[in-house]
Amino acid sequence: MSAPLRRRTFLIGCAGTVLATGAACDRAGGSSDGKVELVYRLWDEQQQVGYTKVFESFTAENPDITVRMELLPYGEYWTKLTTELAARQGPDVFWLTVDAFPDLVGGGVLAPLDEELKAAGIDLASYHPNVVECYSHEGKQYGVPKDLGVVGLLYNADLVEKSGVSVAEDLTWATDGSGSFLDLARALTVDKQGRRADESGFDPKAIEQWGFCSWNHGQTQWMNWAASNGGVVQAEPYGPVSYTSPEVLAGLTFGHDLVFTHHVSPDGTRTNPPSGQATEMFYRGEVAMYPANNALLPYALDEVTFPIGVAAMPAGPQGRTVVINGLAEVVSAATSHPEQAAALVTFLASEKAQRLMGDAGYVIPALEGAGDGYAAYWKAEGVDVQPFLDSAAGATINMPIAAGWTGRLPEIERAANDLYLDARPPADVAAQMEQLANDA
Amino acid sequence: MSRPRRERASGWGNTAFGMALIAPSLIGVVAFLLAPVVLVLGLSLFDWRLLARPEFIGLANYQDAFGDPTVGHSLLVTVLYVVISVPGTTVLSLLFALLVNRQLPGMHLARALLIIPWMATPVALGLVWSWIFDPARGSINVALDLIGIDGPAWLSDPRLALPSVAAVHIWQFAGYNMLFFLAGLQNVPLSLREASALDGASSVRHFFSITLPLLRPTMLFVLITNVIGSFQAFDTIFVMTEGGPGNSTEVITYLIYHKAFRSFDFGYAATLSVILFVIILLVTLVQFSYFERRANYEMH
Repeated sequence: MSAPLRRRTFLIGCAGTVLATGAACDRAGGSSDGKVELVYRLWDEQQQVGYTKVFESFTAENPDITVRMELLPYGEYWTKLTTELAARQGPDVFWLTVDAFPDLVGGGVLAPLDEELKAAGIDLASYHPNVVECYSHEGKQYGVPKDLGVVGLLYNADLVEKSGVSVAEDLTWATDGSGSFLDLARALTVDKQGRRADESGFDPKAIEQWGFCSWNHGQTQWMNWAASNGGVVQAEPYGPVSYTSPEVLAGLTFGHDLVFTHHVSPDGTRTNPPSGQATEMFYRGEVAMYPANNALLPYALDEVTFPIGVAAMPAGPQGRTVVINGLAEVVSAATSHPEQAAALVTFLASEKAQRLMGDAGYVIPALEGAGDGYAAYWKAEGVDVQPFLDSAAGATINMPIAAGWTGRLPEIERAANDLYLDARPPADVAAQMEQLANDA
Repeated sequence: MSRPRRERASGWGNTAFGMALIAPSLIGVVAFLLAPVVLVLGLSLFDWRLLARPEFIGLANYQDAFGDPTVGHSLLVTVLYVVISVPGTTVLSLLFALLVNRQLPGMHLARALLIIPWMATPVALGLVWSWIFDPARGSINVALDLIGIDGPAWLSDPRLALPSVAAVHIWQFAGYNMLFFLAGLQNVPLSLREASALDGASSVRHFFSITLPLLRPTMLFVLITNVIGSFQAFDTIFVMTEGGPGNSTEVITYLIYHKAFRSFDFGYAATLSVILFVIILLVTLVQFSYFERRANYEMH
C-alpha cells in the first residue's frame, strides 16, 4: 500500500521541481519596494571601470535605480545579444555600433527615445552629427550618442627615431605613389640586410620591418583611402553602396598597392581577418605606422614597450577625410523598466556623464566641446591626442548604414581579403563587394 | 472484481514510475537532439534572419548552396582535413597501442599521458596550441631557431594552416583511439603469435598477416567514428584560426557557424547542416558496406 503513495509523492515532487525551475527562470529586476536594477551591457573592460563611477553618480541622483554591468567579449557580444533580442530578452540598455543598428531597429527591438530626450532637455544638435545620424531611423532617434571613435595614425616612436626621420603633421598620399606618406613609409621599411625600401638593393621578398600596415579593415583603412580620394561609398544612410566608382576603386587599389607595388606593408597572409595579426604586428614592433580608432590607444599602450606617437591620417588628393565610428547607448523595446532605462540613457547623454568618461581618458565624448578633458588626460600620460580631435572636427564620413548590414558585412570583408592577397584584380574584388552590399 | 483492477492500476503506476525515471534523459534527448534535428530540417526551407520574420522559400537555400563557391571551397577544405587527420590519427593510435601493449616499465603512465589530450577541453587545447605555433614566441619556432632554422608562420601561412590544425586533431585523438586498438590487441590470442613464430614468420609479417586482419572490427569502428568526428571538427579550428588565413581552414562546420552566428542567416546555415548530415551518412554507409564484405574475423 505504501509503494504507490511513494510513487505519487515522487511524481508530485518531479512536477514541483519543474514548476519551481520555471518560476526561477522568470526574470524580473524589480522588487516590491520600488527599487529597480537595470542591466547595462558593454564589451570594453577598460571602460567598465569608468562606468562604475558614472553609475555611482547616476544612483546618487536616482536612489531607486541601480545599474548592473554585463561585460561580454566583443566576438560573443553580438551573437548573444541578437539571439536574446530575437527572444525578446536581454539587457535593458546596451552599446550599439552603426553596423548592427539597421537590423536591430528594423527588427523592432529598440525603443525610440525622442520624447524622453526632449523631456530631459537634451538637444541632439550639441552632439557630433555623425554619431546622431547613425542612430536615427525614419525620423526617430533610437540611440543616445555616447562617444566617437575617430581614425588617426599611431606610430612606433622608437622605430621612427632609429630611422632618423620624423612624422610630419600633414602627410600626403596620391594614387600614383607620390607624397610624403609613402616616402616616410619607405624610409621605415627595412629588409633583412638592413637596407631601407628607399635604398638600392632593397629586397622586397625579405622584409624584416614594415613602414606601414595596409590590411583589410574598412573603418581604419580602405574607407579612409577612398574618402580622401574624393570617393563616396554611400551618399546617404540606407542608400546604395558603391565600391566601383573610379575614386573609391582607386582608394581600394591604393590599399593593395601599398603591399604589392610599394612593398611597405605585410600582405594578407599575415593580416587578413579573422585570424590575422595586424594589430599584434604593430605591438611587436614589426610595423612602424598603424592607423587606428582612438579607442585602441589604451589597449595598445598596455601591450607595447615603445612610446606611441599620434599623427593625423595622410591627406589624399581631395584632402583629409576620416571615418568616425561613434557608439550609442540604446534601450531595449522589451525592457520591463522603460522609464528607468530612459532616465539612465538621458543621464549618460548629460555633460556630467560624458565628461566623467572623457576626462578619465576612456573616450572622446560625442558631446561637442567635451573632448578637452580627454586631451588633457592623455597629455599627462605623455601622448598628444590632438590629431584625433582635429580630425574629428574636420571632414568625416560614417560607415555604411544599410538594412541587413550585419549579414552583408562579413561577406564583404571576406571578399576584400583578396585585395590583400593579390588574388585577383582590385576591380574584380570591388565589383563583388558592391554586389554583396546591394543585392537583395 | 477489485483485484485485476488494482493490478491494472499498479501496472500503470509502474509504467508511470518507469517513465518518470527515464524522463530526465528522455527530455534531454528529445529537447536537445531530436527536436533540433527536426527544427533544422524545417529551418532549411526558410529564409530566417533571426530578427526578421521567417519566410518560407522551399528549396531555394539548397539551390543557393549548390551554386555557392564558398560552400564548394569549404567542402574541399573539409575533405582535405579528413584526408590528413583520419589516416594520421589511425596510424598513430595503432602505433601507440602496439607500444603500450608491451609489458615494459612505465607503460601505465604512458597510457594515461596519451589519453590526457582527449580529456582536456578543446578550447583550452586550441589556445595552448596557438601559443605553441606562434611564429615569434611559440615553442616550436623557438626550438627551430636554436638549431638555426627560421620557422614558418604555422597558422598564418595559408599552405601550412590546415596541416597545422589537422596535426592538433591527430594529437588530440590518437590517445583516445589507442584505447580501442589496445582492447582489440588484447583479444588477439597469444597462441597465434606462437604458431606464426613456429612457422618462421617475422614480427612484421605477423603484424600484417595476423594481427591487422584480426583488428578489422576495431579498425571499422575507429575509422567510422574518426571520419564522422573529423567532418564535424570545429572547436580547435574556431580557437586557433577562425577559418583563416583567408578561408584556408574554413571547414564546413565553421562556415555553418559563420552563416548562423556572424551573418545571422539561420535558414542557410540549417541547409548547410543538412548537406553535411547527408554527406556523413553516405560516407558512413560506404565504409560499412566495404568492411562488411571484408571483416568477418570475429574471434571467440
